[in-house]
Amino acid sequence: MHLDRRDFFWSASALGAMAALHQFGGAKPHHSPKAKRAIQISLVGGMSHIDSFDHKPELTKRHGKPLGSDTKPDVFFGQVGLLRKPDWEFKQRGKSGLWVSELFPHIAGVADELTVINSMTADSANHTPALFVQNSGFQFNGYPALGSWLSYGLGSEADDLPAFVVLPDGRGEANGAASNWSNGFLPAQHQGVVFRGGDSPVRDLFPEKAIPAGEEKDSRAALEKLNQMHLERSGSEGALAARMQSYALAAKMQLAVPAVADLSKEPAKLKTQYGFDDAKTADCARRCLLARRLLEKGVRFVQVYSGGPIAGSPRTSWDAHESVKDNHGAEAARIDQPIAALIQDLKQKDMLKDTLVIFTTEFGRTPFAQSAGNVVGTGRDHNKYGFSCWLAGAGCKPGTAFGATDEIGWKVAEHPVAWYDFHATVLHLLGIDHEKLTYYHNGINRRLTNVHGEVVKDVLA
Amino acid sequence: MRRLLSLIALCSFTSITTAAPPDFDKQIAPLLASRCLDCHSGAKPKGKLDLSRKTGAFAVGTPAVVPGKPANSPLWERVAAGEMPPKKPLPEAEQKLLKEWIESGAKWGADPIDPFRFTTSTRAGYDWWALQPLARPKVPETPNTKHQTLTVIDRFVLAKLSGKGLSLSPETARRTLIRRVYFDLIGLPPTTEEVDAFVKDKGADAYEKVVDKLLASSHYGERWARHWLDVVRYGETDGFERNTPRQNSWHYRDWVMRALNTDLPYDEFARLQLAGDVLKPNDPDAVRATGFLVASVHNTVLGNDQMRAVARQDELEDIVGGVGQTFLGLTANCARCHDHKFDPISQTDFYRLASALGGVGFGERAVPDAKASVEIAKLAKELDAVAKELAVLEEPARKAVLKEKGMGKLATVAPSPVAAWDFRKSGDDLIGKLHAKPTGGANFTPGGATLDGKTGLFRTPPLPFDLSAKTLEAWVKLDSLTQRGGGAISVQTPDGATFDAIVFGENEPARWMAGSNGFVRYKSFGGTEEKDAAKEHVHFAVAFAADGTIIGYRNGELYGKGYASKGSVAFKADKTVVVFGCRHEPVGGNKMLAGTVSVARLYDKALSLEEVRASFTSGGGFVTDAELDAKLAPEQRATRSTLRKRHDALAGQLGTLRQRTTGGKTYANVPLAPGVTRFLARGDLATPGAVVAPGGLSAVTGPRADFDLKPDAPDADRRRKLAEWITAPNNPLFARVIVNRVWHYHFGVGIVETPNDFGFNGGRPSHPELLDWLASEFVERKYSLKALHKLIVTSATYRQASAPRKDALAIDADNRLLWRYKPHRLEGEAVRDAMLAVSGLLNPEVGGKGFSDYKIRDFNGTAYFDPFDPIGPEFHRRSVYRFTPRGANQGWLDTLDCPDPAAAAPRRAITTTPLQALGLWNNGFALRAADAFAVRVAKDADGAEKQVRRAWQLAYQRDPTADELKLATKLVTDHGLKSLCRVLFNSNEFVTVE
Repeated sequence: MHLDRRDFFWSASALGAMAALHQFGGAKPHHSPKAKRAIQISLVGGMSHIDSFDHKPELTKRHGKPLGSDTKPDVFFGQVGLLRKPDWEFKQRGKSGLWVSELFPHIAGVADELTVINSMTADSANHTPALFVQNSGFQFNGYPALGSWLSYGLGSEADDLPAFVVLPDGRGEANGAASNWSNGFLPAQHQGVVFRGGDSPVRDLFPEKAIPAGEEKDSRAALEKLNQMHLERSGSEGALAARMQSYALAAKMQLAVPAVADLSKEPAKLKTQYGFDDAKTADCARRCLLARRLLEKGVRFVQVYSGGPIAGSPRTSWDAHESVKDNHGAEAARIDQPIAALIQDLKQKDMLKDTLVIFTTEFGRTPFAQSAGNVVGTGRDHNKYGFSCWLAGAGCKPGTAFGATDEIGWKVAEHPVAWYDFHATVLHLLGIDHEKLTYYHNGINRRLTNVHGEVVKDVLA
Repeated sequence: MRRLLSLIALCSFTSITTAAPPDFDKQIAPLLASRCLDCHSGAKPKGKLDLSRKTGAFAVGTPAVVPGKPANSPLWERVAAGEMPPKKPLPEAEQKLLKEWIESGAKWGADPIDPFRFTTSTRAGYDWWALQPLARPKVPETPNTKHQTLTVIDRFVLAKLSGKGLSLSPETARRTLIRRVYFDLIGLPPTTEEVDAFVKDKGADAYEKVVDKLLASSHYGERWARHWLDVVRYGETDGFERNTPRQNSWHYRDWVMRALNTDLPYDEFARLQLAGDVLKPNDPDAVRATGFLVASVHNTVLGNDQMRAVARQDELEDIVGGVGQTFLGLTANCARCHDHKFDPISQTDFYRLASALGGVGFGERAVPDAKASVEIAKLAKELDAVAKELAVLEEPARKAVLKEKGMGKLATVAPSPVAAWDFRKSGDDLIGKLHAKPTGGANFTPGGATLDGKTGLFRTPPLPFDLSAKTLEAWVKLDSLTQRGGGAISVQTPDGATFDAIVFGENEPARWMAGSNGFVRYKSFGGTEEKDAAKEHVHFAVAFAADGTIIGYRNGELYGKGYASKGSVAFKADKTVVVFGCRHEPVGGNKMLAGTVSVARLYDKALSLEEVRASFTSGGGFVTDAELDAKLAPEQRATRSTLRKRHDALAGQLGTLRQRTTGGKTYANVPLAPGVTRFLARGDLATPGAVVAPGGLSAVTGPRADFDLKPDAPDADRRRKLAEWITAPNNPLFARVIVNRVWHYHFGVGIVETPNDFGFNGGRPSHPELLDWLASEFVERKYSLKALHKLIVTSATYRQASAPRKDALAIDADNRLLWRYKPHRLEGEAVRDAMLAVSGLLNPEVGGKGFSDYKIRDFNGTAYFDPFDPIGPEFHRRSVYRFTPRGANQGWLDTLDCPDPAAAAPRRAITTTPLQALGLWNNGFALRAADAFAVRVAKDADGAEKQVRRAWQLAYQRDPTADELKLATKLVTDHGLKSLCRVLFNSNEFVTVE
């Protein structure tokens, strides 16, 4: 077993990435990847599948009737109200006839690109553990996120940009904050890097206080020479040479990061399509366009959040306990147009063929209202037994829906897909065998998929 | 796990060349164990075939194996057809082996098969090296060498080196050596003067003197505590959703530092962390030490009972993992759902440990104060005596009053509340001035205070007294039994952020509960469904004891079961109000009760069942002070008044003293009733199996793993026995693991590369004899860590030069044989500390509460942490005092591999990345420290050249070379000292220990 990863470099690009897989996964990529890069839209709080992508006419028929279950559902707040029909009308869309509700009119417009999975299941119906599982496969803090695994397994295509970039909701970070894009026990370079707005999108990209350009240049040169002398004295230690190189790469990043984050030269018409002009959509629009630019420049994985902290009133996430109509209506209005524009933009740039778009939520919501037992309340509680996510782009079967919940959308009825399976499928599309991407930590060769996971072959093109 | 196993090349069982028939115990049993027994063994083997037993394999009538006749053996038929094992057919070599065994007569061996018996090429058995008793190996002869001072360590190292034709490197230069040992032992650079003194000291003991001085320095504890905190995943927030800061967890960190500085023997160090509160209940430090048990994450948002139970199982897995990895280097946590796939740890073993640790609870507890405890006991006794005197005096009067009120038949005397309301008459407090006023949809009716369930509540003015232990009591009638979450009576802070309340139906429909902010003191009483309260007034009381026990009573009877909560709230005088009809303010949502409260009372103690019953049967009757006085003769009244004053004074003193004593809180183990642990098939709570008694790991040789305890033994006994078992002198892992850990930090790599894992998946020792010698020497030296450090750092192996040598690189590039001291980058904390020290900013204060360089944002009960650069001496303390939240971006220290304390980091990664370069080059703190460094140098020296020399001395503890001087002088002349100081902090030499 080879354990020493000390002198390893993030930006070793393709060669280093191969070496990483070779050395630690014990395998070469098993197949040529369908996707070279991926973007995940992560909806925080729990999006209602029965109001969006999972069409359940029977639920509408049974609106106002009791659930009629033998056992009491173990929902988070313990309130099981009467069944509630969706708040939005469902329609068949595009050539494929995929069902998408009026909650997402713009995304509905690109329905022919989507591969909806209507049979997702989660381990937890508790927000943060569920979000952790969605990100890392484990309910606890401290495990590497999907993006970190991809960074570890594939590296970045660019040597001047990180492999894994995170774009949190403008209203704040989801609960768990950096735990959601943690490198866990993987080396530090695999941590998700948050891109903020402003002149210094990455923390410490430029000196905290202004330093004249001449001084900056001469100081760098002096550092380089000093290190060179030291290197010669110390017998050309590899780790020391690597450190010198890291400063050279840092200088490249100082150019590359502001360049990629500069949206000013993007066409005005495109920006309008993304929704830059509308206060509701502006935040998500900016991040979706930035994400596309990052992917274009070789970033491996971008995570775009929809939803900030869970608690609070009014809510800043999809956690529609009080009113699905009000909450989901407002949340969807923030992201619907930007996401649809992103897909169209990727397609127009011919990137959709090798870019995987992932649209997820940590769990779904109950078909019954969260209210007293004899009332059709306006909110819905958490549902880990069945919900919807979708994929689009590289390697996916477009315009299809896979799996099914029961007739009212309460529990999975066909082809359950656990997060492990979902992760295995994503890795597969990116050319990785999820059983072979491993990293030793405390007694176990850890995997994103723990000891589980089956690739969902039916969603693959 | 199952799948993981299959990934590993299974080539093992065939390794013994077979002219003779296959050996059952060594070849066939391991094959069956790894391929078949997962399904074909146990109480309900699949297909009723138990292959772990001879009687199963050769079952009369339906044998799976017919000796000598593979073709007639169903086992062979299924295997040969590729049907078994399902999905993963047996590799050809193993098929061949199996067939040969059957052909050769299928001789059976040890029965039943114990899959752990032998180590194979895929897993460790009982014969695994790390589990074997410690032997004191013979020290190799001193080889012929020019090294003059060879220690025992060196002789072991040299023996291995000479086997490969290698030798130790010569001793490194004195300046390099002192810099190395300073950073290593105290984590700070030496001063110029210290270096000079050492370089000039020609005495034979010059180096030893430096080592002794460093080990005696309190900075030693700061340095090495940080290592230990990595191992135990010490974090100062809860993690998960709320990530609440733990204000008092630093006491554990401080204790670790003190324990290391006083060289507390390691066995005692371990014992106190596992069971200090039990072993030395009156020793505050022993209680603080148990912070170890709860150093990890803890979820406080749990949802329903089922979710709660699963979360507890997850938590126990984490605790078992922490204990096993820290002290034994075994990943016992991997055996929760099945037997360990790689080490001889059975699933039962896991549950034995889980039972031993089943009483571990997370929270704050009072630090014992022996002196105060005596005083408290004395005051309590006095108070009790006065209370009895009072009772004798008051009882006849009380009975008389009650009789007049038409309640004279009471056998027992109802307790005296501190506030009482009869809403059928008014909202006035019948005792004091806590008159309740209606707001919103609340009204007085003949039935009492009626509440509309939307906006209506009654609120009192602030309480004029503190309230900790208490009882809430109310007679309530509900408009409907389906309502969820309304409060009948609640004691709350005026903003409603903290409260204790009687709540109906919030978490479980139609059940009463004790509501509290964020459910922190909530557990289900498990009481019956309410059926009557819509028809008639029901009496409900909740008693909150000072120790956190919460008990509910309905109509004078116990309601379900009481429970131990996280501890009681000390509600403050003037900052507490009572509300009726609302769980807690602000008004709205499901917090509002729809119904009527007729009578309610508040007590400043947790009433007993008898008292609650008396109050219930009193039908609302009680006696006020004024009524009592009216029944007493004047002299009795005077006596009563005196006694009352004395009573209140004593109660006050007691309260203050208790308050002060409990002011010393520490985040530590707060034991829970552990209950009985059950084996859970597949780790699933839905499939509980046999009851498991607390115990250790049976594969560890030496101490008996059986604790001789009953499954329901008290928590104290369980942890006492666990601590005994772990620290037993004949537990071979205990000493091996710690000496390896210490070695790891001295050399960058352990003798075993995986300090938390001595199992099959871990590394193999590079110097097994040396490891055992060190371990036995460590035990012999009474577990003294300082003695161990000295042994190591005075060795020639430690003192050798770091320069790479071509000959040795070709043979041992990784330096596993230790032909040099491998240079390494400083950890993030040490880089920061060195910058503080060199710039002169360092505040060397040792111990105490730490500082935070995060802006902490509380967002509706969830904490967020943003790194920033606060200025001031309190923030210029060493990094071990930094507040360490979980899941927080630590800014530039992240990039230097400071781990998130969400997971154990027994071995830090050392990465080199552009983000790291950017952090050190641009971060506000780094620039500020460089500026301070420049100011210091300018103060110490005049003129660019002298300043450069001074800067070199401070940063590198040496003079600049001519080339360096030229380069640096030019930079200073062109751009000032600040730019040079920034360059030095970023230079390889500054951050590297050679």
